[in-house]
Amino acid sequence: MKTNPAVQENKPIGAASKPSLGRQLRKQLTIQIFVWLGMAFLLVFSFTPMFGVIMAFKDYKISTGIAGIFTSEWVGLKYFHELVNDYRFPMLVRNTLAISLLKLVFAFPVPILLAIMITEVKQAVIKRLVQTFSYLPHFISWVVVVGIAYAFFSTEIGIINHALITLGIIHEPLTVLTDPDSFWGLAVGTAVWKEAGWWTIIFLAAIAGIDPGLYEAAQLDGAGRLRRIWHVTLPGMRGPIVVVLILSIGSMLGGGLVGSNFEQSMLLGNTINNDKSQIIQTYAFNVGLAQGRFAFATAIDLVQSIIAVFLILTSNFIAKRVSGTGLY
Amino acid sequence: MARKTREDYTVDTINYILLALVALITLYPFYYVLIASFNLGQDTARGGLYLLPRAFTLNNYIYFFNDKHWVNAFFITVARTVVGTLLGVIFTCLVAYGLSKPYLLFRRFYFLLIVIAMNISGGLIAFYVVLRGLGLLNTFAVYVVPTMLSLFFLLIAVSFFREIPEEIGESARMDGAGEMTIFFRMILPISLPLLATMGLFLGSNQWNAWLDSAYFVQGQGLRTLAYRMIEVINQTMINTDAIGAAYAGSMQVTSFSAQATAMVISVFPIICVYPFIQKYFVQGMMLGSVKG
Repeated sequence: MKTNPAVQENKPIGAASKPSLGRQLRKQLTIQIFVWLGMAFLLVFSFTPMFGVIMAFKDYKISTGIAGIFTSEWVGLKYFHELVNDYRFPMLVRNTLAISLLKLVFAFPVPILLAIMITEVKQAVIKRLVQTFSYLPHFISWVVVVGIAYAFFSTEIGIINHALITLGIIHEPLTVLTDPDSFWGLAVGTAVWKEAGWWTIIFLAAIAGIDPGLYEAAQLDGAGRLRRIWHVTLPGMRGPIVVVLILSIGSMLGGGLVGSNFEQSMLLGNTINNDKSQIIQTYAFNVGLAQGRFAFATAIDLVQSIIAVFLILTSNFIAKRVSGTGLY
Repeated sequence: MARKTREDYTVDTINYILLALVALITLYPFYYVLIASFNLGQDTARGGLYLLPRAFTLNNYIYFFNDKHWVNAFFITVARTVVGTLLGVIFTCLVAYGLSKPYLLFRRFYFLLIVIAMNISGGLIAFYVVLRGLGLLNTFAVYVVPTMLSLFFLLIAVSFFREIPEEIGESARMDGAGEMTIFFRMILPISLPLLATMGLFLGSNQWNAWLDSAYFVQGQGLRTLAYRMIEVINQTMINTDAIGAAYAGSMQVTSFSAQATAMVISVFPIICVYPFIQKYFVQGMMLGSVKG
């Protein structure tokens, strides 16, 4: 501790000679206590669960509490073998990757397009109105979104089904909420509905930062509206597009930009569409909490975390290559 | 300004049509739920309700506020939002205030811990085991204690407090005031924009949270609005027989009309608060995006 560089660097201005560490510490004791409270919180709610992952290699029983994590017997890779041999495992990996990739492909361009569309509106009032309502769904809970999905798509009272039947377009109600084959589309669609408007904030700010002179110059050169969007607006958004894309790849398993893989799988998933709706994270959660197999569930969580860390590091590496600066 | 070309007119027209469509898709669901909550449940179940309540009624709301489970869930949700937001804002700011001092010893070590905690998680199951070990399961505290420190806002608050000149606390310190007094009496009152942003985000997280109420508590006493809504949705999503059947017979309330009412009640406060804080959260979002 006596060669802590931070101490020398942050020597109080005007101090003639460096007081001893103990003296300094006593002088800033209250401030230190504030920070210690925060660190104690992290120790309990972040670092203990982090060390808790060793459960995945142990014969852990929930009745032994937190201490049991450290005292129970080692069983090596038993649970990982069990997971790989679980007949659901390929299905879980397929669903997790498919939903994540679909969101990356379909959800990523929407906020960019929406931001361009909003910018092209010249009347300030309409512009502000569109912005205001497009952020709103971000603040609504997933439970309400699922309730809305139910009100619209349910076979019994869903108004879309009712309207289509009344119009004679279909004769049998569409089973969007229960049909396994429509789950991925439902997941991507509801996630875009909820979060796309929110992410326009970043892109709108980027567009606002573009030099208006560029537009005038392009116009003088005879570029119409669409060509100005293509040659001025889009290149002007390059920076945030790259950053957001990298962030979404890094957080892909959670759903990327629009997130919410876990919430959707938990809330929109049901016993009928299980085959397409269950993902690694929800399987771990159910196995752990419903069946009480905590060690096995932790092993599943750990597999997901390792893939996630790998994705973060890869995307950060790409970021360094592309823009010269990483995110961390 | 140059004269509008044909292209301008075409682009504008298509753009307005598309935006009107976006507006419809975004806003109509809210509107539909609203009219469904003011329509007789059994009438809604017949279908064909699109634009205006067909059989206007306040029954759904009367039912909601007379059902002790819904009312209890409502007050639990209000309580967790108020307590959880206050605790989260004050605790996060307190820690951030300490971390913002340039002369703080071991700063780098503390920030290292924070960065690790932000990027690596032990997963939900390990988290659950810790909650259980601490005896937090089935208590009100499980809603508000694990959310006391928001790491995202911790970093934002640290950079906010760094901008506050050190002299502000200096004279009070001369007069013998402790750091605690300085923090509560001088620092917090001049940090309103920060507190408003944090309040909105932490508050809406609390108000919307459902996982903790569904899995970390048992019995009816501590359930929140979100949990009760999930319960009703799950009952009716698969078991379609439950829909037509009256939920509370004489009032013609169905499970869907009760659910629509709960949804309106759950969205209403957000819509009320939202316009006032919009300018803050746009700033907050930009700050957050810079930090990654």
